[in-house]
Amino acid sequence: MVKADRWIGLFFSLFAFYVCVEGVRLGLGTYQRPGPGFIPFYAGLILGVLSLAVCLWGFLEQTDKPDRWQNRGQIAMVFLAIVGFTLLVEWLGFILTAFLLVAFLLKVVERRGWGFSVAVAVAVAGASYVVFDLWLRAQLPAGILAS
Amino acid sequence: MDALEGLLYGLSLAFTLKNLAFVFAGVLLGTLVGVLPGIGPAAAISLLLPSTFHADPISSMIMLCGLYYGTMYGGSTTSILANIPGEAASIVTCFDGYQMARQGRAGPALGIAAFGSFFAGTIAVVGLMLLAPTLASVALKFGSPEYFSLMVMSLTLVTYLSHGSVLKALMMTALGLILSTIGLDPVTTKLRFTYETLVLRDGLGIVPVVMGLFGVSEVLLNVGETMNREILQSKIKNLFPSLKDWKDSALPITRGSLLGFFLGIIPGLGTIIPTFLSYGMEKRLSKHPEKFGTGVIEGVAAPESCNNAAATANFVPMLSLGIPANPIMAILLGALTIYGLQPGPLLIREHSDLFWGVIASMYVANVMLLVLNLPLIPLWVQLLKVPYTILYPMILLFCLIGSYSLNNNVGDVIIMCIFGLFGFLMKKFRYEPAPLVLALVLGPMMEDNLRQALLISGGSIATFFTRPLSAVFLLVGFVSLLLPLLKLRPTAKFRAQE
Repeated sequence: MVKADRWIGLFFSLFAFYVCVEGVRLGLGTYQRPGPGFIPFYAGLILGVLSLAVCLWGFLEQTDKPDRWQNRGQIAMVFLAIVGFTLLVEWLGFILTAFLLVAFLLKVVERRGWGFSVAVAVAVAGASYVVFDLWLRAQLPAGILAS
Repeated sequence: MDALEGLLYGLSLAFTLKNLAFVFAGVLLGTLVGVLPGIGPAAAISLLLPSTFHADPISSMIMLCGLYYGTMYGGSTTSILANIPGEAASIVTCFDGYQMARQGRAGPALGIAAFGSFFAGTIAVVGLMLLAPTLASVALKFGSPEYFSLMVMSLTLVTYLSHGSVLKALMMTALGLILSTIGLDPVTTKLRFTYETLVLRDGLGIVPVVMGLFGVSEVLLNVGETMNREILQSKIKNLFPSLKDWKDSALPITRGSLLGFFLGIIPGLGTIIPTFLSYGMEKRLSKHPEKFGTGVIEGVAAPESCNNAAATANFVPMLSLGIPANPIMAILLGALTIYGLQPGPLLIREHSDLFWGVIASMYVANVMLLVLNLPLIPLWVQLLKVPYTILYPMILLFCLIGSYSLNNNVGDVIIMCIFGLFGFLMKKFRYEPAPLVLALVLGPMMEDNLRQALLISGGSIATFFTRPLSAVFLLVGFVSLLLPLLKLRPTAKFRAQE
């Protein structure tokens, strides 16, 4: 157990409560004809009990040292980069977005030189377009380049 | 169709130019994935899955299966040469494999790993070929209560065998079951937890979830970490083990293969636990147990054979019962559904071409891997030198492409991103993703069978306990829930070793 389990347990207990309420709203049905809310309700109930147990355990048991949170900034930037890719890909198109993603990761997150970052980004974006779009026919979005 | 007839039929399918090319692509990519740390077989199969939509199901399954056991071969190379397990099942190979390499015996270590894997793979394919159809015909007699109880047993076994806290594993199972209910209810056509989002109507796709949990989360965990890869620079020679090496390895290979096969059949065991057990067994049987860990060839031969046999045996419950033994099998099961095939005991009978084609391609893949792997080792060593800072942007980009191309929809990419972050947090706080994935896959089948069983029995829950087989499954499930309370878990000591 880690210290955070107290909060994780609490979070999932609340989530489980919501699932149970939603299960009732969907309809539990009868034992002979279980409704659409039957499984969510009972799975939510089990999750709730277990989450409360994890929460209590977190308070009662001696907690282990949590893992170190090194590189938080880099992790956040990588995650934001993929979210950015998701938001932009249909508008900018695959090639441009893939280029921006790889260049950002290399230049900003990994602090490589401009020349290196741009060269690798061009190569990766180009090669993945050829392999996935042209060869494997993945139909990646063309975006603004389509016009 | 008897086994020999089936195998001949399968070979006629596997030996077409197209399918040989698919096997080749699968094993080559698999070995690559096995060699490269930071991307495992689950994420790799998910990545490749969308690209198989244009091919026929048999060729696609042949490639995806090839990729799976290719990773088992590839993982050993990095374990021996760089002390880094390319994938989790090769952790044990590091113990003696790397020590052998340091003593200038990388060649025999790589050689015995390849030959042992080949032998184990072949034995396990024969086992799979004989066992799966028999098991499927037994499973045909199962009713809904048996199926439901079998799935309950599988899920509890997965939590029992998980590496961390059982409580947390059970929590993830319950969460997986809840997530599996997202989408259209097949009986009442009511929408559940969709929030008027189109992408959720068909339920949460297994592929973006797995890509997030196993691909993106792994990248997030490794970002900024300095990966110390001390690759041995000396020239690799004597790939063919000496007569003494063969003598020392013959029995460990045989024992490892048999142990791996029989343990691999059990849902939830996967490939990691059998390799640890195999290593422990060899150490116990050895006349010089104190030498284990210092570079003895038995310490490489047994676990390497074991992980390959277990990897093949994982297909037994998947192909015969439609029950995945681990997350990788869960994706393959999902793939079958995407190809329009119904997994379960009827699969072998109704799609014998797929079953026998895949079996025969496993023989072919084993030969290919043996022929391919040893000469290509210098190439894999070069690849190991590619820094992770260049690799991970590519892994991320491939994950993004893979999830987008599933339905040409950013909705799947968003799901992948969310589960990437969730998987990262799970690993940080020591929650395991495997029970969640299995529950997500088994959830709809469980719900379906539960409803049918209750409908037929007139709403009586006793039907699950009064039918003998169903009661046995539930009893095993119950016992596996109780054992952790008695501190009887095989995984606890492996955690320390890992």
